[in-house]
Amino acid sequence: MKQNLQSIQPVIMWKIARDEWRYWFRSKLAVVALLIGLTCTMSTVVVSVGDAFELEHQRGHAQQQSEQTFVNQPDRHPHRMVHYGHYVFKTPPPLGMVDPGVDSHTGNTIFLEGHRQNSATFADQKQSSGTTILGALTPAFVLQVLAPLLLVIMGYGVVSRERETQTLSILAAQGLGYGNLILGKISALLLVAMLMLLPLAISGIVVLSQGESLLTLSLFLVGYLLYLSIWILIIVSISLWAKSNSVSFSTLAFTWLVLCILMPRVATTVAGVMVPAAGKLEKDFAVAAELRQLGDGHNAKDKAFVQLEAELLKKHKVNRVEDLPLNFRGFVALKSEAEITSILNRYAEDRMHEELRQSFFARQFGWLSPQVALRTLSMLTAGTGLETHHRFLRETENLRFNFVQRLNQAHTNKLNYIDDMNRNKSEAAGQIARISAKNWNVIEGFKFRSSPSKERALQAMTPLAQLLLWFGMFGLFLRNLQRHYS
Amino acid sequence: MKRNTQTLPISIDAQQLVVTLNNKKILNNLSFQVSSGEVYALLGGNGAGKSTALKTLLGFHKPVSGQAVIEGLAVSTSLSAIRKKIAYLPENASLYPHLNAFENIEYFLSLAAVHKTHAEIKISLQQVNLQQDAWQKPLSKFSKGMRQKTAIALALLRDSPILLLDEPTSGLDPVAIDEFNQLVMSLAKQGAAILMVTHDVYGACQVAQRIGLLRDGALVGEFVADGGHQIDTEQVHKAFTAGVID
Repeated sequence: MKQNLQSIQPVIMWKIARDEWRYWFRSKLAVVALLIGLTCTMSTVVVSVGDAFELEHQRGHAQQQSEQTFVNQPDRHPHRMVHYGHYVFKTPPPLGMVDPGVDSHTGNTIFLEGHRQNSATFADQKQSSGTTILGALTPAFVLQVLAPLLLVIMGYGVVSRERETQTLSILAAQGLGYGNLILGKISALLLVAMLMLLPLAISGIVVLSQGESLLTLSLFLVGYLLYLSIWILIIVSISLWAKSNSVSFSTLAFTWLVLCILMPRVATTVAGVMVPAAGKLEKDFAVAAELRQLGDGHNAKDKAFVQLEAELLKKHKVNRVEDLPLNFRGFVALKSEAEITSILNRYAEDRMHEELRQSFFARQFGWLSPQVALRTLSMLTAGTGLETHHRFLRETENLRFNFVQRLNQAHTNKLNYIDDMNRNKSEAAGQIARISAKNWNVIEGFKFRSSPSKERALQAMTPLAQLLLWFGMFGLFLRNLQRHYS
Repeated sequence: MKRNTQTLPISIDAQQLVVTLNNKKILNNLSFQVSSGEVYALLGGNGAGKSTALKTLLGFHKPVSGQAVIEGLAVSTSLSAIRKKIAYLPENASLYPHLNAFENIEYFLSLAAVHKTHAEIKISLQQVNLQQDAWQKPLSKFSKGMRQKTAIALALLRDSPILLLDEPTSGLDPVAIDEFNQLVMSLAKQGAAILMVTHDVYGACQVAQRIGLLRDGALVGEFVADGGHQIDTEQVHKAFTAGVID
């Protein structure tokens, strides 16, 4: 069965691939596996695309409504508006409909208010029923985890079956080399993989119409095709190596379990061990302790602001805060917010840095599992990775700080200090201690956008290299096996 | 014992073949020749090396020393060309159980780039006496004999000048064996070189012009048909069971 590249015959390969398909059609198990695969990918893509449109519409509408509600507030005390707060929503990126990535865990809505950095809420995984915590049936999950299993079910016997039924010798006696046989079997499985990817490719049209770049979409699709091709090489290699069908199936099932189920969990666990991070409660206590030292920004008489008061009086050459050309309470709120934000940002940046380091270690497992590599590539190109979520947090924090400080500025400059101090003495005094609703026009329209496609493509280069290494490694392994058996 | 003196062109030439599998010597300086138009039977008990000899000629096993030559081409260097000249019928005629007889034959012939019409395939299936109502049934529903007949039909349709048959009558009923033997003899008359390995003494004597007795991978003797007469079954049987040829 000696064969070199010159003797590769596409017609023979096609015949072998066609016969494999004929076998699958006549074998009920293979047909069932194929139907399950196609139904899963098709249905998840259709449902996800529908959901994405619905979500985008809902969040866009909610964002607009939230901004409108804020702006439409009547005349109030400016600090009440600081606490009235404002909601921002993360609209999913176009490819998020295929791979929601970390969004389903991190949440997509943040309530912005003064002196606090709230966490994102309404994560799909947290608000769904209990079972979905194990992983929702998204197109990405189907293609990353289920599709390899279905390929295993269909392909474990592509060569081992021929060996077990002793048809290999008849095939060889017809002048067929191992090279053509293997390439034919690979072609048959590749067609299955492409069928499974077809709904994804079709959804690409929708994704493009939503503004996704062709570069990112192509990289996304190439990543998935490469991943399923790696699995095909693994399946054909093991089927060629195995002495029997049962050995081939059990070896492939174990390989799938390790690469698709165990390794991603091991990656997360190892990352957690390599970069230990304090729990949320622990961090909240540490932040609270540090904030306490700053003084209470609501209380201008707090001893923490004595020096600030003295400096301000000196600067304006007056003896009493009542004589200052600005509202001292507002000024305290302004300074206090800046200091609080600086501390909150430091902790937030530390946490994000830790998360990125953990993520870095977890992603290195892409060298050990193609599933981890594809998961990373998929999230990064889709714009649903950790980096994008961090950008969302930074952008929303920026928005929060700006609108709170604009309100504090209005508090400082547009509300009289004495009126402010007397605001609780009577209802009439409370009415006086207000500023015009015109000042609420401090909210910048917020629309979260994906990172530029080139940036996402560059981020995805490492997982792409991991996938290419897997492909090359198993390609060479299969070639050597073929030479060994020839 | 009479030795053959060959005059026809030699199609199969095994030259002092030594084949080792799993550190065990299976063929031990095996040499024999088969001419075109001749039926040669390699007779031997279980483990004598019969199937290994055929598989070595097909290039499935590489000899440690010696060489196999088919129609002047060395198996070690011209495998692809040689396989186009050979029709091989393995011991367990394994074709695809999910295909019917027609589909099996069409598929395997297409891999060998041999194109036959439906009518030609029908004739071949009739030749091997496979019941017509079974032609469209999947081979998974066939008996061993029916599968064997399908494989024989496939081998015949290859139109090869050389036929390698590994226990070809195994699983066939007596009538079918008789018909098969007639078919083999007629193919030889048309010029095919036929090498069959078997442990069926009577079958071998019925069709073969020469019988080589194989023991522990070595040829321990040959019987040659005398003129138009068949080889004496009793003499071969005696030598086969005694293991010694004088």
